[in-house]
Amino acid sequence: MTSSTSSGADLLTAPSDWLAEQPGLSNRLVFRHALARLADQDERVVLLEADLAGGGDPYAARHPERFLNLGICEAAMLDIASGMAATGHVVFAHTFAPFGAMRACEQVRLGLAYARANVKLVCDYGGLSGAFFGPTHHAIEDLAILRAMPNMTVVSPADGLETIQATRAVLEMEGPVYLRLGRNRVTRLDVARPAFALGRAMCLREGSDVGIIAHGEVGVSMALDVAARLETQGISARVVNLHTLKPFDEEALLETAERTRLLVTVEEHSILGGLGGAVCESVASHGLGRRVVRAGIQDRYDSAAGTHESLLQRHGLEAGALVETILGALPRPRLAALAPSRRG
Amino acid sequence: MVQVPLEERARRIRRTILRLAATPVGCHLGGSLSMVELLVVLLGRVMNVRPQEPRWEERDSLILSKGHAAAGLYAALAEFGFIDTEELVQRYNAEGSPYTGHVSAAVPGVEFPTGSLGHGLGLGVGMALGHRLRQRANRVFVVCGDGEMGEGSNWEALQIAAQHELSGLTVLVDRNGGQNDGPTESILSQGALVQRLSAFGLGTVEVDGHDMEALARVLEAPAEGPRAIVANTKKGAGVPMLRGKGPHYATFNPEQLKRALASLGEVTP
Repeated sequence: MTSSTSSGADLLTAPSDWLAEQPGLSNRLVFRHALARLADQDERVVLLEADLAGGGDPYAARHPERFLNLGICEAAMLDIASGMAATGHVVFAHTFAPFGAMRACEQVRLGLAYARANVKLVCDYGGLSGAFFGPTHHAIEDLAILRAMPNMTVVSPADGLETIQATRAVLEMEGPVYLRLGRNRVTRLDVARPAFALGRAMCLREGSDVGIIAHGEVGVSMALDVAARLETQGISARVVNLHTLKPFDEEALLETAERTRLLVTVEEHSILGGLGGAVCESVASHGLGRRVVRAGIQDRYDSAAGTHESLLQRHGLEAGALVETILGALPRPRLAALAPSRRG
Repeated sequence: MVQVPLEERARRIRRTILRLAATPVGCHLGGSLSMVELLVVLLGRVMNVRPQEPRWEERDSLILSKGHAAAGLYAALAEFGFIDTEELVQRYNAEGSPYTGHVSAAVPGVEFPTGSLGHGLGLGVGMALGHRLRQRANRVFVVCGDGEMGEGSNWEALQIAAQHELSGLTVLVDRNGGQNDGPTESILSQGALVQRLSAFGLGTVEVDGHDMEALARVLEAPAEGPRAIVANTKKGAGVPMLRGKGPHYATFNPEQLKRALASLGEVTP
């Protein structure tokens, strides 16, 4: 593993250059390097692990005194995180998403959210990225559960650059955060983007037919792919990266609804309760009367083995399939106006 | 300043708890009364606290993991000057008040909101680890119920406390033998609690939880690692009318309150 300073560029001052020098690093490893670098200049940072840090962790190597591997004890780890935060530390607690967000759910609720603890729960293995390990290691309900908790901030960075930016941003804010990462992807979005700010969605591409709102590594890269494919068919898509699911950027949603004719959500999470749920809630509460196509994990556990990509495909999370769905769902006001009236 | 004897402190706390049982929704009475001596020795003798400055940085911390016994903790905090006794009795469980039926951290002197069982030990281990990392000497005391030891998260936290040799942490188990649905031993036995805590790596002693001298002796002894004190107590202790087996939860009517206070030797107006 490459240390965060062995390369030429500095991760914090030149993150894009630093990432370019380490093209193979997954976002979950980018996080570890980013936290190691951030902890150089912030003595408050502590990282807790529950036996899933892996070998050669860059943070553990750099800050051994502020690294505690507590063993296979997720529930206790999160209460401990809250206790440590109460003594002035900023505690990052890492494990896999199904264990952090769901096994230790009440500790997240009471130790973190209710207590407004300055704890950042960082989970990889978001969505189906645990692939071959099966549904015990998939997290398809975590966003719905954590989004429902008052005081919680819920963030899924879309790529390496955003992972660095989000890690810094959550360290700088006070309060509990769920930072969700995947496992496998080496996502490096090749797209110009505005500055990253928690709670503020970013428009990655303007368009007037379809408004695609996306969340997370798989969601955003798929949305950009879908938009490019739609363009070849003469359909223009606006792509919004809603990296912070909570607090939810309603303004970005309303703006997208105003500028487009169909809303589409893309996320690596159940279509119930996550991004799709949040967008539907807002559309309904603002009385927009707009159809929302929700691309995501269908409401079922998939126990058959498969690669990450094939599992996504089985749930329809695949650019080609989503393009077809969108083409079928797009309202065609001009064609409708030209068609003869059925009432005769 | 005149020192109030600890025995008198305990009596006064019991009176307040009984008055809280006589409020409209009542309180967890048995388990509040059983831990009175534990709280008196901690707050009145062992712990380094400033009631007028509850968030003082150098304070020792008390975490009531058995947060249903809120009436007992609030009454003790009132006795030691963190909050006002009359305000507590007037506003306990009242609309909009901070004095909720399970411990609220909005009350001065309370570190964490507890009452869902099995969280206090983890929170306490975290505080002890945090203080040690900051090279501070603050100590952390966690009071658990014996029935509460059924929660697996406690045993996770105890393993971690032992692994990290957390000498700043003291666990007190209020071994009153009762839980919501009846005697602890008939529901989920904690019969070998001392041996289990010792086997988990805690320096463990068993004491009479109503003997304040004995409690003070073990709490003031120097610690080499995390410690556990199994304090044998009785539900409803100290109130003759309840004969040491007070109800888990009670709502007193005025007549019952009068009799209970009278059994403590107090004449009500």
